[in-house]
Amino acid sequence: MSAYSRRTFLKVAAATGIAVACSPAAQPSATPSSGAPSQAKGLTGTITVSYPDELGVKPKYVDQAAKTVQSNNSGATVKVDLQKISDDLYYPKLLLALQSGTDVPDVFHFGGDSIGELADAGYIEPLDNYVNAWADWKQYPDSIKKGATYKGKVWAIPYGMDTRWLYFRRDDLQKAGLAADWTPTKLDDVVAAATAVKSKVTNVLPYALYAGQAASDGARDHAFVPLVWAYGGDVVTSDGKWIGNSAAIRKALAYYQKVYGQGLSPKEILTTTKPWTAMRAKLGDGSLALLFEGGWVYGGWQSKDKSGTEKNVGYVLHPTETSGPSFTIGGLGTCWYITAKSKNKDLAWEFIKTWNNKDTVAKINIEDPHPVARSDSADVAEFKAQQYLVDSTKSLEKARFLPPDPNLSKITTAIQKATGRVANGDSSADDAAKQYSADLKQAIGADKVVEQ
Amino acid sequence: MVVARNSAYLIGLTPAALLLSLFFVGPALWAAYSSLTNLALVGIDAANPRFIGLDNYARLFSDPDFWQVIRNSVTFVVGSAVIGQFGLGLGLALLIDHAERRRWWFATVAYAAVLLAWVNPTLIAGFLWVAMYDFFFGSLNHVFLSALGLPPVDWLGSFPMPAVIVANVWRGTAFTMIIFLGALKTIPPDIYEAARIDGAGTWRRFWDHTIPSLRPIVALTLLSITMSTFGTFIVIQALTNGGPGIATEVIALYAFDSAFKSFSIGYGSAIAAVMLALNLVFAVVYLRWSRARA
Repeated sequence: MSAYSRRTFLKVAAATGIAVACSPAAQPSATPSSGAPSQAKGLTGTITVSYPDELGVKPKYVDQAAKTVQSNNSGATVKVDLQKISDDLYYPKLLLALQSGTDVPDVFHFGGDSIGELADAGYIEPLDNYVNAWADWKQYPDSIKKGATYKGKVWAIPYGMDTRWLYFRRDDLQKAGLAADWTPTKLDDVVAAATAVKSKVTNVLPYALYAGQAASDGARDHAFVPLVWAYGGDVVTSDGKWIGNSAAIRKALAYYQKVYGQGLSPKEILTTTKPWTAMRAKLGDGSLALLFEGGWVYGGWQSKDKSGTEKNVGYVLHPTETSGPSFTIGGLGTCWYITAKSKNKDLAWEFIKTWNNKDTVAKINIEDPHPVARSDSADVAEFKAQQYLVDSTKSLEKARFLPPDPNLSKITTAIQKATGRVANGDSSADDAAKQYSADLKQAIGADKVVEQ
Repeated sequence: MVVARNSAYLIGLTPAALLLSLFFVGPALWAAYSSLTNLALVGIDAANPRFIGLDNYARLFSDPDFWQVIRNSVTFVVGSAVIGQFGLGLGLALLIDHAERRRWWFATVAYAAVLLAWVNPTLIAGFLWVAMYDFFFGSLNHVFLSALGLPPVDWLGSFPMPAVIVANVWRGTAFTMIIFLGALKTIPPDIYEAARIDGAGTWRRFWDHTIPSLRPIVALTLLSITMSTFGTFIVIQALTNGGPGIATEVIALYAFDSAFKSFSIGYGSAIAAVMLALNLVFAVVYLRWSRARA
């Protein structure tokens, strides 16, 4: 027995160790200091710039900025830590470093929707003193400055904004008897188009509607939230309370029920690892007809087949239930942050400032298509010459945004569960809405959830 | 006096005991403590974690998904460890032992094939099965079914639990097979010889001699594979991410997702603590059963 019990104990101890791997050695400071910026020239010391990248566009710009900072400041060293992994894998890794306080980078690069949860955790440095002394800050429109502000402070510098489109294949829709310049005026038009493709076009998936945990943030930004808006509701109130159960949420979930129930969206989305990879590729090659996705996805199709993409891939805003004005969901895109634990914040800022110059912001957003965060970058001739980028930038006028909620990760999990339940046929829309409300209350506290 | 007599053993054991305490006992205690807090990796709870008593456990037990997760875990463990790896491992061990005794060359090939599945890192094994099951690109649909003129099947969506069980059985059977193969080698051939002379047939010899000789190893093997299967989720994560819905969400994956997707370390630790308790229940059941049999 003693040999068994020791083995048993070791096994269970190892099993329990899952949560232990992320044990904090020290708590970060909740009140970061905000020192005044020093003169740009003559900075010394070493900083580490950490960023994830799978696409391969960013590295040359990051290396270029690092080089510029070093040549302008002879005593400065900028170490670049490129992590060739997805954001989903990078983020927990970064958080563990930030919380344990070891291997904390000075500058990192991550989505702007995390501002709230990073700021509340005390991981990031407010940038007000730096931006106030930065002449170029006036190039950023107020709406973008507002997006980078949380609890009255600026926390991150965006460069390429997120927008989303409902993409459609003109060739597939034409085969289904629809017009090549198909323009949905209401949500039912999308279902009708998908139904037509399903019945008339073989070997083409009609529609991809992201749901479940596998879909990651796509279940939130590319499906659930815009659907709730399309049905005239909201997911969060103006005073920051999340709406657990409402008519619009029930309707959005019923939309999932309809789309998955009628076999219009492939159920494989619920189990495929990174389902967006397959769905994007399929829309690009014409084997998927309809997909609401990030504006940046267009670049991948374009670089593979420019003329084919321009000819066959159409993009429109998200329609509403009642033919109201179409809209999109915007986002701050990926941003640069300075960590609260950085010992050389001035040099860290110098890097961010150098990177976010007019030309780099224009060029990177041409290569990896996003609306530019700086107004003057939109005036760069090369940027203006791209119709798609002009349209994307214009789409932001119709964009709605999610607030940078500190509980966003937990809320996203609840959204994934609710959409996954309905898409898989485990729950009715009404039951899933009730459960979504209960999940939200459990995850973020009943006082932060309302029902309408 | 006792200490003096055993001092050599104690000195020998101390380094191992210290390392085990550092890497196993310490983290386990830390996890038990953090399950009583609201510690998180993001937000205000990351900066100022609070002691919240048994709130995480109360939340867990009122979470309807949790009971589904427990059912999934038991199905996965029974299907892939108890029935699959154990049954198949035993069967393969008997066949290979039989073949080896007759010096059939095929025994070595079969042994190597099963072993190859085991030497793969778990994640690679998971992705090998993704390459087979995948609806859009997988070989099961695009090589086998299409060759037969059959339409593609959504293996992971339509049969999620059997699909992950098959993958995990493939990955883990070698362990059980090796243990049983070793045990079979310890059975002296004279026993079979004597039984044969006494007129015992194949089944009789298997039932009266092989099975009793393997019995002591059964509990140990079951205990080992049950616990390792309870704690594993990498194959499932690679194949289904716990989906569709939560059809393949097992307790270890649920703990991982809570800790590293929702970033609720306290809640994830509470789930891990429940996993520990369940493992203990399995261990006690097996050990009692093996004692009763011994």
